[in-house]
Amino acid sequence: MRILIIEDDALVADGMRRGLSQSGFAVDHVGSAELAEAALQQENFDLLLVDLGLPGADGFDLVRRLRRGGKSTPVLIVTARDALADRVSALDLGADDFLMKPFALPELAARCRALIRRSKSSSNSDLTIGPLRLDIARRETRVNARAIDLTRREWAILECLALHAGQVVAKDRLQQAISTWEDGITTNAVEVYISRLRGKLGDEVAIRTVRGLGYRLDESA
Amino acid sequence: MTPAQMTIRRRLLLILLGPLALLLAAGIPIDYGAGMIPLSAAFDQALANETLAVAAQVHAADDGSIRFDLPQQAIDMLRADKDDRVYYLVVGPSGEILGGDAGLPVGEPGKTNPSFRDAVFAGAGVRASSYRLATPAGAVTITVAETTHKRERARQRMLAGIILNDIVQLAGILALVWLGVRVGLRPLVALRAQIDSRSARDLAPLDETDVPGEVAPLSRALNRLFATVRSTAQGQLQFLANAAHQLRTPLAGLQTQFELMIEDPAAGASRGRLTNMLDSTRRLAHTANQLLALARAEPTAAAAVDFRVVDLRELAEDAVARHFDMAVRRHIDLGVEASSVHVSGSAWLLRELLGNLVDNALAYTPAEGRVTVRCGRVDSNAVEAFLEVEDDGPGIAPEHRESVMKRFHRAPGTPGDGCGLGLAIVEEIARGHHGSVHIGSGADDRGTCVRITLPAIPA
Repeated sequence: MRILIIEDDALVADGMRRGLSQSGFAVDHVGSAELAEAALQQENFDLLLVDLGLPGADGFDLVRRLRRGGKSTPVLIVTARDALADRVSALDLGADDFLMKPFALPELAARCRALIRRSKSSSNSDLTIGPLRLDIARRETRVNARAIDLTRREWAILECLALHAGQVVAKDRLQQAISTWEDGITTNAVEVYISRLRGKLGDEVAIRTVRGLGYRLDESA
Repeated sequence: MTPAQMTIRRRLLLILLGPLALLLAAGIPIDYGAGMIPLSAAFDQALANETLAVAAQVHAADDGSIRFDLPQQAIDMLRADKDDRVYYLVVGPSGEILGGDAGLPVGEPGKTNPSFRDAVFAGAGVRASSYRLATPAGAVTITVAETTHKRERARQRMLAGIILNDIVQLAGILALVWLGVRVGLRPLVALRAQIDSRSARDLAPLDETDVPGEVAPLSRALNRLFATVRSTAQGQLQFLANAAHQLRTPLAGLQTQFELMIEDPAAGASRGRLTNMLDSTRRLAHTANQLLALARAEPTAAAAVDFRVVDLRELAEDAVARHFDMAVRRHIDLGVEASSVHVSGSAWLLRELLGNLVDNALAYTPAEGRVTVRCGRVDSNAVEAFLEVEDDGPGIAPEHRESVMKRFHRAPGTPGDGCGLGLAIVEEIARGHHGSVHIGSGADDRGTCVRITLPAIPA
């Protein structure tokens, strides 16, 4: 997994580079949008970490030009700006996620993994979330090496959670995911399937309840 | 009433009242004099006619004798006046009384014939008319006098008329001024209504299309003021954005480097010190964030923040999703009970507010505790929305609930790495949204429940 960091602050860039390398990513770093564009013409990356406040063209310009040029590489904005307007316009331009400085390295790594996983899930049929592995094409589930047998509805719910791993998935949405086969499924039914999934997947897989909102599948229990 | 509170209308009336009253009072003698001359002349003419009528009864014979013969009937007619007593006296050439009321003062011949004068007779003021009739035997003087009751009454009536007329005029002028000012000030009232009807945060220029020339400088000055406030606020926001960037970037660098050094197996004995340094850096970052948030919530900067329609339910759900990691780490059951309610506000300021409340609740609630974010309408037809965060932690004693909202205040012995700005930010943002903050206890009198009440947009 190759990541390009576009960040003009040397200390932050060095920290991100080392931290992500330790998490198993191949990391390159450039200090400006212009250099980033040059690098992107030569090489392919799985993820771009973009600072908004860059010398010369800023992060907004870079993302805008990338998306206009047809590049769909996922972009995680890592910035010291926290105004909602910045967040909204970055996401509108085609950035995929937004992380505020200062951040904790484990969170940065988790966000990177989630973004790469999401971009791969359309092309690649394999999903890995911590110990959990899903083969989308074959509808096969494994926890570590153990194969798990799931019903169609259990699979539908797990797939929906896995595609949005690390994010809260509303109960309504899970209900929609299983109501294609049968009308009149209540949100109560979702609770039943979640409880069965937890039983089958075991303690290593963390499906967390966000009371009043929905569920979240995490990388680590 | 102090002069500053005095209305223009009242001031104008007070200024006009004195001089107008003096002017009209000064006109009274002139009007009186002008009225009295023809009035006296008319009365004198009537008196002269009577005198001539009496004089017609004086007959001078050819032999030089003079005969005055006034029949009783004529005397009765002469004296028949219901208001005034009438006297007459006819004096012959050598001073002998030919008839009438003896003792009636006889005037000296004046420039006119008959001549007039005022005198006193029988204890009362009279007006007398004397006519000198030339006869072969000499001049006969015929005098007719009458008391002045009629004249007095006419004079008083005229004077009363003049004064009444002046009072009516004065009242009329003041009423016109009152109405005129009211009509004249209409554009100002309209301007005031325009300002009144705006929201306190609306700094857009006033509409100047129908503003008359006299008011235009005022509305222009107001518009300049609005523009200044707006640009100051925008400058302030820009400054804060730059400050945020300049503070957070090096802190991010330090924080990641400390994290890496702690993870490094070579850290060895330094790990404890590095961990402390990482904690300090995190605290510093947190304080910087809170100070920036507080500065942005303050009115000088918040004036540039655009208010939109915000659904509190979305905010509540977002806050829970954002803080879920922290809740998992602390083994706290974080949940939401939200029904949709819209308010007018700044999404990110309200997000900051809610973030602080959830942060606090998670920080002060022990493991296995429960934190719930709620929002909705205060009651079904209420114009107020509420946003609250309840926990089942140790709670805040009633006597400390006031002081926890003070800046940098931290209750003694509280855990966590807070800087004591969280609730100050919450209060500042709530106030900027015309809301209020109430700190109470949670369910069953346990824990803390902080409730924000905001004006709701009707559903």
